[in-house]
Amino acid sequence: MVKASDSNNKISKDDGIIVLRNVTRNFGQNIVLDKINLAIESGKTTVVIGPSGCGKTVLVKHIIGLLRPTSGQVFFKGKRIDNLNEDQLGKIRVHFGYLFQSGALFDSLTVAGNILFPIEHFFKIPSQKEAEEVVKIKLQMVGMDGFQERYPSQLSGGQRKRVALARAIALSPEVIIYDEPTTGLDPIRSDVINELILKLKRELKITSVAVTHDMTSAYKIADRIVMLHQGKIIADGSADYIRDINNPVVQQFINGQISEEELEILRMRDSYDATKLWTNIPR
Amino acid sequence: MRMPAAAGRIADHLERLGEFGRFVWRAIVVSFFSCFKPATYPLIWSQMYIIGVRSVPVIMITGAFVGMTLAVQAYDQLAGMGLEERLGALINISGVKELGPVLAAVMLAGRVGGALTAELGTMKVTEQIEAVKSMGVDPMYYLVAPRLLACLLLAPVLIIYADLLCSLGGYFVSVHVLGISGRPYWDYSASVVELWDVSVGVIKGFFFGAAMAVISCYKGFNCEDGAHGVGKACTEAFVASLISILALDFMLVVIFKSIYNTLWPLRSMF
Ligand SMILES: Nc1ncnc2c1ncn2[C@@H]1O[C@H](COP(=O)(O)OP(=O)(O)OP(=O)(O)O)[C@@H](O)[C@H]1O
Ligand SMILES: [Mg+2]
Repeated sequence: MVKASDSNNKISKDDGIIVLRNVTRNFGQNIVLDKINLAIESGKTTVVIGPSGCGKTVLVKHIIGLLRPTSGQVFFKGKRIDNLNEDQLGKIRVHFGYLFQSGALFDSLTVAGNILFPIEHFFKIPSQKEAEEVVKIKLQMVGMDGFQERYPSQLSGGQRKRVALARAIALSPEVIIYDEPTTGLDPIRSDVINELILKLKRELKITSVAVTHDMTSAYKIADRIVMLHQGKIIADGSADYIRDINNPVVQQFINGQISEEELEILRMRDSYDATKLWTNIPR
Repeated sequence: MRMPAAAGRIADHLERLGEFGRFVWRAIVVSFFSCFKPATYPLIWSQMYIIGVRSVPVIMITGAFVGMTLAVQAYDQLAGMGLEERLGALINISGVKELGPVLAAVMLAGRVGGALTAELGTMKVTEQIEAVKSMGVDPMYYLVAPRLLACLLLAPVLIIYADLLCSLGGYFVSVHVLGISGRPYWDYSASVVELWDVSVGVIKGFFFGAAMAVISCYKGFNCEDGAHGVGKACTEAFVASLISILALDFMLVVIFKSIYNTLWPLRSMF
């Protein structure tokens, strides 16, 4: 488990490439993360599941310092990062690729421009031809070759997501964080993305953290599944462990079942006849 | 009960002021170092095109109208004293020292500042600024520095345009409408307007441009979520830019005046 070494700003690297220790985060009165402890192992894929609005995005944003904990610490490779300034964080973030839930493509740049953005910033690309080649390879990985000159506003939601994924992996980072990589994609495309995530892990030993609602995808890519619920981690284990876990909240979530209370609310609404209101509307 | 609430609000304001101060400081430092990085030049260049070149027509029209209006307004006063020949001096000295720089800066704040805030605010709301950060790129370096440098460098140039057109507009009305002969218009202008006056106007431009750019970028970066947030940020940015332009103008006038008075005895040496 997580042990403090002599200095408060360092922990042993063996604890995991990314370690969250007692991370609490509130927005005003709203406690989104409540003393989260999580150690992520290098070279493995960790999947974070949980109901909508439970704080999955907030959790992964803490990993690269886009959000800072209200209390608690975040470590990367044994070094504390949550108290670094933006300059120092910038140097850490180069090791990460981050796929935003919304894609967050730069809408003033073309698809090719988006993918070249991180590359150009850190490397000198020798020639135009070379640049085109890199973009082509990255886009082929996500099945978007041929869209180089389009602007993000000219793409569908799923296409944007895939371009954003290509951009996140552009620098071949050590750690990739995927915030809902398969949402908005058809089942076949989703499976292509799953295969891509598996391939990156297999061939480049990339550490992945994926947030998803898609249980098919979660079972396929996960070495470990973590379930977040009301600010706490309520289940943590391999895909098989989670599938057979004896916990009603988790079971309901992974099987997509609505709870009895929620059903009750829907029944109440049913008995209320909205069409009654219409009688007064002149038609 | 009421005291703590008020104290809390004051603390809030102070905190925001501190945040703004830090933002300004970082913007200045990063912009300074960007000047030595050839990789930023294309970014600055494209901002200069958007901010500078596209503003030329607006600025020229502003300048011309200022000159023309001044001519019409001042004519009666001067004619009453039989001094209408000196119209050129009055138009040019007010245009070059005050109205040209201030009105050009105000036009820029409207045209460029609004667009800057809206652009950066939309980027903030759609997580694009976070995306820049997530790639290890400093948004100060990629987004703020090029805009700040472009405004800082181009505002003085645009002020020169405004001055020029103010002069020409004044000339047009004085000579072709009010019937003053052209020769005294230029003669009196040349004898009254010194290089110092023009320089003061242009130097003000650096300050106005920088203030407007920093305020607009700050408002964009700290914009609240949603379309409403972006709109609000734009309004606030414009109002804040306007007030700071006027306040800076006042302070600079006071400072320059004391410099002028100190240097005045030395003038004969040049
Ligand atoms: N910037 C913010 N300001 C205030 N509250 C926020 C902010 N960001 C997130 N929250 C709150 O934190 C909670 C968790 O949000 P988060 O985006 O992490 O959910 P999520 O688990 O990713 O949900 P989804 O699956 O729908 O994406 C929500 O209740 C949200 O209202
Ligand atoms: Mg989310």
